Amino acid sequence: MRTGNRLVLALGKGIGFTSRFLKAGGGSTLPGRTARRMSPSFVPNMVKELPLGSVLVTGTNGKTTTATLLASILDRAGMTPVHNRTGANLLAGIASALIRESDLGGHLAGRMGLFEVDEAAFPAAVEETSPRLVVVNNLFRDQLDRYGELDTLASRMKEAVRTLDPQSVVVLNADDPLVASIGRDLPHEVIYYGIDTDRYGSESMQHAADSKHCAECGSRLTYEYYLFGHMGRYSCPSCGTSRPGSQVSAVELEMVELEGTRCTVKYPGGEVTLFIPLPGLYNVYNVLAAMSCALALGVDIETVKEGIEGFKAAFGRVERVEADGRNILMILAKNPAGFNEVIRTLTGGTGRKNVVLALNDNIADGRDVSWIWDVDFEMLRDRLGRVVCSGIRAADMALRVKYAELGEDSLTVEPNLEKALQEGLAMVEQGETLFVVPTYTAMLTLRGSMVKKGLVAPYWEG
Amino acid sequence: MRIKIGYLYPDLMNIYGDHGNILTLVRRCEWRGIPVEVVALNIGDPIAHGEYDMFFMGGGQDREQVMVCRDLQETKGDDIKREIDEGAAALAICGGYQLFGKFYRPFEGDELPGINVFDAHTVAGKKRCIGNVVAKSALGGKQGTVVGFENHSGKTYLGDGCAPLGTVTVGYGNNAEDKTEGAIYRGAIGTYLHGSLLPKNPSIADFLIEKALGRRGSDLPLASLDDSLELAAHAAALKRAVRTH
Repeated sequence: MRTGNRLVLALGKGIGFTSRFLKAGGGSTLPGRTARRMSPSFVPNMVKELPLGSVLVTGTNGKTTTATLLASILDRAGMTPVHNRTGANLLAGIASALIRESDLGGHLAGRMGLFEVDEAAFPAAVEETSPRLVVVNNLFRDQLDRYGELDTLASRMKEAVRTLDPQSVVVLNADDPLVASIGRDLPHEVIYYGIDTDRYGSESMQHAADSKHCAECGSRLTYEYYLFGHMGRYSCPSCGTSRPGSQVSAVELEMVELEGTRCTVKYPGGEVTLFIPLPGLYNVYNVLAAMSCALALGVDIETVKEGIEGFKAAFGRVERVEADGRNILMILAKNPAGFNEVIRTLTGGTGRKNVVLALNDNIADGRDVSWIWDVDFEMLRDRLGRVVCSGIRAADMALRVKYAELGEDSLTVEPNLEKALQEGLAMVEQGETLFVVPTYTAMLTLRGSMVKKGLVAPYWEG
Repeated sequence: MRIKIGYLYPDLMNIYGDHGNILTLVRRCEWRGIPVEVVALNIGDPIAHGEYDMFFMGGGQDREQVMVCRDLQETKGDDIKREIDEGAAALAICGGYQLFGKFYRPFEGDELPGINVFDAHTVAGKKRCIGNVVAKSALGGKQGTVVGFENHSGKTYLGDGCAPLGTVTVGYGNNAEDKTEGAIYRGAIGTYLHGSLLPKNPSIADFLIEKALGRRGSDLPLASLDDSLELAAHAAALKRAVRTH
């Protein structure tokens, strides 16, 4: 440990403490930002102190859930991860986690780094953390205003993966053609995971689907079926590239509405049946990603199963809250593909659902709100009761609802998030559920007002 | 009276919620009782003379744009230009707007030829122009403004054969130099603005619908609609644009 790093650590810890003390937030990025500015080699130096090395989790949707699932497993396996929680998934977030989990001498409380990173930050994170394992869950259009085009992003990620140590393992989603292409001709050990049953497949693709063309030759892919966005059973009629075989595969699935999914997973050496306590097909992918990583890291299957079944959702991603005898189910939706999965969840079951849709356009949400027009709101026709549109761009969301013809009469526009939540709760009866679907910073604000009411714990205690 | 919209390359050119523009055109016709039909025009599909009253094309990624450019040169470009000269309406966004011009010149490699609807050409730029945009425009309706979100690195320069859609007051516009945004030629509009554009700028949607009806020989004014939500979204976007720049 260099003396320079000690000074950086002390300062970083001071900032984190002050930020929490002033209730300005969890201090999840500012300490790290400062540390990296003072010492550019702060992260590379600190990760050397981790005896079990580091794991990087990336992908457009499900990073936080996947990493938290994996943390739940690794904790049980005694591998004690240092994890950049609370969705601060840029390099500053990694640095902040390292500061939080170390003492002033630079000794880390954890043994393994578990870092979730934005797709755009992935190459830099590979360079700074020298991971022993990376997992890429999916690639969708998300905040293109920040990341540039999807094809460019994928090729930058592929280049970064090529620079990994030859002993490193690469875990990829076989069902996502762009992600799977990262593993082609790679000298490293590649583990593919995917869904190997067409039970929840559909013949048509949602608007939000992004990767429709073969990453090798550019021809249009043909699909036997689609599962979630552009994920599914694909092949290229022109060059013959097709979905690679998966080593970790969900072979049976049964969705239990709004509760979770029962599934049977085949893996090298066996088969396991488990219950995923999170709704939606996208969470099946998150679980498969976490399982593949844990198995590759040598965790036994019993511990993997316990880690998944005993999982508590990452804050805000899916959160169940009780408020005066009413239930709030808050599900984060930050891009078309994720939002479409939330919609698929909302169309299940009987009865009309009352919802709060909260759209912000801060930098962390993406300034451009065009993406809401790629969400299939039309699927909610005749499924909704009252709708409250909220957030900075509440009026844009209301327009989307109007043009989907979901019933203009049952629509309220209330930009103030706290008031919108109040109004939403007033619409549901005792014992009923209010569905709240926010973008990222809207979720932080909504969560803040729930904390104020004493309904949930502040996230930095979670 | 029925209007028919040719949706150019819906699978390839739909990168930023451009579907919302088609949805807006369709709903605003339906709400007025005007029958409307949208036909997807994919690679290889021909355009019959007099068949379409309006064309729409969105933006795409580089690879898609090259495929589309080739198809426009081979099967559709001349026909689209002819239909517009004969009164058809059109809306081309971002990458679509560039291909409706004379050419696109990349940093390296060959120029991509356009279809010459707009007297405009585009050259690759180093800086990416990203952010909210407000432009003053005669097509802005009662508000006098057009609002949207731009995300492009190409710089487009207009010639004398077309007029700008508006003058930028917030944001970059066509080329970040001359304060122009978009282009108008007869019933055709080209622009860099997403948002989607039409939901929040209903006067532009109605301009296009009127032009399309005009092609079918109707010059009746459009029935007015309750646009209070549209105008609220327009106002919110305007306020946000000023604050985020």
